[in-house]
Amino acid sequence: MNDTPISLRDLRKEFVLSHQGAASIKAALLWWKRRSFERLEVLRGVSFDVRRGECVAVLGRNGAGKSTLLSLLARVYKPTSGTIALRGRVAPLLELGAGFHPDLTGLENVFFNGVVLGLTRREVAERVDAIVDFAEVRRHIDAPVRTYSSGMLARLGFSIAVHVDAEILLVDEVLAVGDYAFERKCYAKIDEFRTGGGTILFVSHEMSDVRRVADRCLWLSEGRIVLEGTPDEVIPRYEAGYGPDPDGGTATSL
Amino acid sequence: MLAELKELWRFRELLVSMVERELKIRYKNSLFGFLWSLIVPLVTVVVMTLVFKFFLRNATDNFSAYVLAAYLPYMFFQLALLDSAQSVLLALPLVRKIYFPREILPLSLIVSNFIHFVLALVVFFAYLLFVWIRHPQVWPFRLEMLWLPVLLAVNLCLVTGLGLLFSALNTFYEDVKYFLSVTLYVNFFLCPVMYFSEDVRYSGLIPAQYRELVYTLYHLNPIAMLCTAYRKVLVAPGPILQGKERIAPMALDWGLFAVCAGVSLFVLWFGYATFNRLKWRFVERP
Repeated sequence: MNDTPISLRDLRKEFVLSHQGAASIKAALLWWKRRSFERLEVLRGVSFDVRRGECVAVLGRNGAGKSTLLSLLARVYKPTSGTIALRGRVAPLLELGAGFHPDLTGLENVFFNGVVLGLTRREVAERVDAIVDFAEVRRHIDAPVRTYSSGMLARLGFSIAVHVDAEILLVDEVLAVGDYAFERKCYAKIDEFRTGGGTILFVSHEMSDVRRVADRCLWLSEGRIVLEGTPDEVIPRYEAGYGPDPDGGTATSL
Repeated sequence: MLAELKELWRFRELLVSMVERELKIRYKNSLFGFLWSLIVPLVTVVVMTLVFKFFLRNATDNFSAYVLAAYLPYMFFQLALLDSAQSVLLALPLVRKIYFPREILPLSLIVSNFIHFVLALVVFFAYLLFVWIRHPQVWPFRLEMLWLPVLLAVNLCLVTGLGLLFSALNTFYEDVKYFLSVTLYVNFFLCPVMYFSEDVRYSGLIPAQYRELVYTLYHLNPIAMLCTAYRKVLVAPGPILQGKERIAPMALDWGLFAVCAGVSLFVLWFGYATFNRLKWRFVERP
């Protein structure tokens, strides 16, 4: 068994910003010589390892590159340069209900999402009861998910992600949607996940959450890691504020 | 490309569920549900038969069977292409959040449309049987029909290649969608659907020495070739009426069909290669 399920080396990502909105062939043909675009460096060389069973929190202001980092790990983006080595199944919780189709029932969506996350349909069938019970949506499971409240969507999404037997969980500020009781349950599940050897990388602005679950914090600013350490080392300095406003704005959280 | 195919194979369960989802969504809020997949081709068959019998009185025997044998594949071709061209663009919210092989998006629409096409062919065979019961002169089911799987395979290669190509391009340039619908409309009349390929071969408007050449060029269009091939394979040959003249039906030109198969395979390779080159840029689309 490998001891570093997540290993990043000099990861860089830049986006091309276009000032013309959606492209069209006409624009491409007419303006190919003076196309106005600008490169936006979101990550400028990030390297770190996450050990097995570790829970790492990524801190940083809006535009620091946190969401881009998680999206790169979820293989939604391809890095501009640098390497990402992931060992084991990854369950990304980047946005709850992102993969749900509003017209399909909860049950059909459970199957669909389970398969998207890499299970076979038979494996989903074996887990469907556990998923539905954990999400507490048994009564609504045959209704289309467009009738679900945001809390129900959040619970179902979380429940699917933690039941796919992933080795790595990527969480992007999604636990804030459920009610207090469900939040407790989520943290209990996350603890269970970690005792089973699961690795977690998460983004949160809620320092109390970070203190509660994280072993280690990475402070990301302007695409670089500026400080790394235990929550007790990093959080006070982070909260005390750090220098100037990062230039990126909010363009990174696509 | 081998690595991409391996990855696709790893996600085959996802393709199956996507197709299932596609078939379910289409009739999700309808009472008859999947029956619509049979009702639509059935209505097409009835309308075509009536129109050709009473209004466009072409006296060729079994004319509506000829029309349907080419019309149903053409409809598959058109719907699968228009659907798949939009597929990546419509699924961008999902593409931005979750990793999976992106080609599954157009592929699932092509496969679900193909399933509808096969159902339509079942209705077509039922129609042939029905016609035979009423006019039992010629037994409509022939040995040549065994070629049907080959035609379907070539057709699927062509549609898949074009679907992958257009879905990738349409993600960046939405002009592709409009270009596609105009082209498909024009192409409909460049394919032997409402007329016979023999009409091209013996057209009075073309000087006699060029007819052979025009006929060959006409069939270099792989879709026109497929329409002709479907007809030759699915409908028993009979004399064709052109005005007052009777034309003997021409046999299927397997040489031209081989060219069509080659072109289709090339299109499949080219479409997939282009898709793979562009697929990482979908999420970063401006």
